[in-house]
Amino acid sequence: MEIRTFEIEPFTKEPYRLLDEEGKPLFDFEPEDFGLSKEFLLRLYKDILITREIDRMGWILVRQGKAYFYISIGGQETSHVASLYSLEKDDLVMPFYRTVPSLHVRGAKLEEIFAQIMGRASDPLKGRQMPGHFGKKDLNIFVLGSPVGLGHPVAMGVAMGIKYKKENKVIISYGGEGSTSEGHFHSAMNFASVFGLPLIIFIVNNQYAISVPRVKQTASETIAIKAKAYGAEGYYIDGNDALITYLVTKKCVNEARLNKRPFLIEAETYRFDPHSSADDDKKYRSREELEMWKRKDGLLRLKKYLEYLGIWNEEKDEVLKREIEEKLNKIVEEVEKIPFPEPRDMFYEVYVKTPWYLEEEYLELKKEMEE
Amino acid sequence: MAKMTIGEALRNALDIKLYEDERVLVFGEDVGKKGGVFTITEGLQDKYGEERVFDTPLDENGILGMAAGLALYGLRPVAEIQFIDFIWPGFDILISDIAKERFRSGGQFSVPLVIRSPYGGGVKGGLYHSQSPEAIFAHIPGLKVIIPSNPYDAKGLLISAIEDEDPVIFLEPKKIYFAFKEEVPEEKYTVPIGKAKVLREGKDLTIISYGYMIHECKKAVEELEKEGISCELIDLRTIIPFDGETILNSVAKTGRVMIVVEAPRINSFASELSAFISERAIFYLDAPVVRVTGFDTPFPYVLENIYMPSQKRILRACKKLLEGGF
Repeated sequence: MEIRTFEIEPFTKEPYRLLDEEGKPLFDFEPEDFGLSKEFLLRLYKDILITREIDRMGWILVRQGKAYFYISIGGQETSHVASLYSLEKDDLVMPFYRTVPSLHVRGAKLEEIFAQIMGRASDPLKGRQMPGHFGKKDLNIFVLGSPVGLGHPVAMGVAMGIKYKKENKVIISYGGEGSTSEGHFHSAMNFASVFGLPLIIFIVNNQYAISVPRVKQTASETIAIKAKAYGAEGYYIDGNDALITYLVTKKCVNEARLNKRPFLIEAETYRFDPHSSADDDKKYRSREELEMWKRKDGLLRLKKYLEYLGIWNEEKDEVLKREIEEKLNKIVEEVEKIPFPEPRDMFYEVYVKTPWYLEEEYLELKKEMEE
Repeated sequence: MAKMTIGEALRNALDIKLYEDERVLVFGEDVGKKGGVFTITEGLQDKYGEERVFDTPLDENGILGMAAGLALYGLRPVAEIQFIDFIWPGFDILISDIAKERFRSGGQFSVPLVIRSPYGGGVKGGLYHSQSPEAIFAHIPGLKVIIPSNPYDAKGLLISAIEDEDPVIFLEPKKIYFAFKEEVPEEKYTVPIGKAKVLREGKDLTIISYGYMIHECKKAVEELEKEGISCELIDLRTIIPFDGETILNSVAKTGRVMIVVEAPRINSFASELSAFISERAIFYLDAPVVRVTGFDTPFPYVLENIYMPSQKRILRACKKLLEGGF
């Protein structure tokens, strides 16, 4: 089968897309033309759907008082899942706090993701960070901190390590459009271009950094065009179009792997929920705007496309949703039985060997707790 | 045994680690061809190539980000910040990422890196090339902070720092980079992190210091000795984790303590040591713990000689302390 080459240029003013808002192809093509099998598209859809369901469960857990806090991915799952699909197993991921529910596509167990959200002892991070800061070394997923943009220069350093070790890998670093306002973004792009590093900075432009809209974040025409200043290429894509997101990210990943140079991708999308469970989005955006973006939902769009291809229908969708819901309920029930971390855990892993004064502080706490 | 300055001993330590461990990478601004503004990395690029010893863009945030990522990925970066006064653009990476990585990842990841940097006054560097911010780093859980005062310790501690699994801030007192030579073994050796050194035994007074200030303290101690006053001089060497045991043993012996640092007084590491001694050894004390420090002003340019604690100021404070005048 001949795979159609995908002709795109960097620095466009309009985002690239292959599907319209109704999930119809914008021109005459078959998924196989781009090397995409129907099985692949079904798998992609199922992972986007489960990501949305994990997210829904996150909000429920906060309302039930089973999690202290939640930070959502709802509305932008397509951009995360489809881009993660473009990586090989050995490639590395620097997530950001909204990436987390989609990390199950890299092999993160749902039990671990919920243990992190609920801060249980089985959380790989031992309950030390707020929900949404997941990472797992054996899955090549790093652990991020909360300050926005922090991951980009660190990912750049990892990319330098890949180059130094002469490995055939890439690292993808996720961030919102707000992260491009930080100096971290500049440092990462500048160093990665100067040193020629296999780094993909994937910007999930969900239109708001908490309450500050994109237009107050930057005056540049697009986020992607910023790459030009660093001597790199930047691609502006519709992040709610799973096909284009996968194909463009794959193209950048392949070129970064082969030619050791960085790429910037801006995926335009929207967050349906408030910034976090501690936010009220009614203060800064209209319900009309929200409804408009809900019509552009990537999950819905891919579902319609699969229906258009004749490989999915409403009945199958309902069955799958029920299965996922039952699975998640069961997992949450099991995770709830797991205890919180021990007080002693707080004093470990500040340093590789716990210093004398931390041992003493633990003994003080222990006495206090025994009294 | 060769005689080396602190600067030469540091270069020798980097040479040894670059030679024996391919994971060691040395980088920063001007460290390549130029060999660093203080020539500490001179000749290393010629010997080990541009892949292992290289210049970076002028961006401390990028330098620290690169170091953090390399360490996360199993390498042993030794990043140079040209003057410690310039580290602040990279402070977010340092405080939010490097220092917390092991803890926040539940022990999955570590960042074994060294950030080397000239620090302190005395070279007419003005207020942006002379600061002593060790207490700021010491306040951040997860970082280790080292300040040597002599060539032997400088080499042994730097090798220990590169081999350490935790991130280390290695501060090099620039005034004494090339001020004097001492015998230093040419082969590899280490000096343990977290151990102070009693430079001189005494019974009347304990003086605790580190870095360049050790040398002003030494002069003061010699003067006092002429007057029959016996001082115990402790070189702390590692700020975090500091050696509490050596300090308390000395306090129990002398009953009087003076701490000498270049940094401004308020919230200096001298303040931490003073509080530590007051909490744990108050009944051994015959007088309050005294801090001799820089003033709580930005570091001055022309007036640096009267800003930095000198033999004279230390001597005056010692006498006052011994007379119970504080």
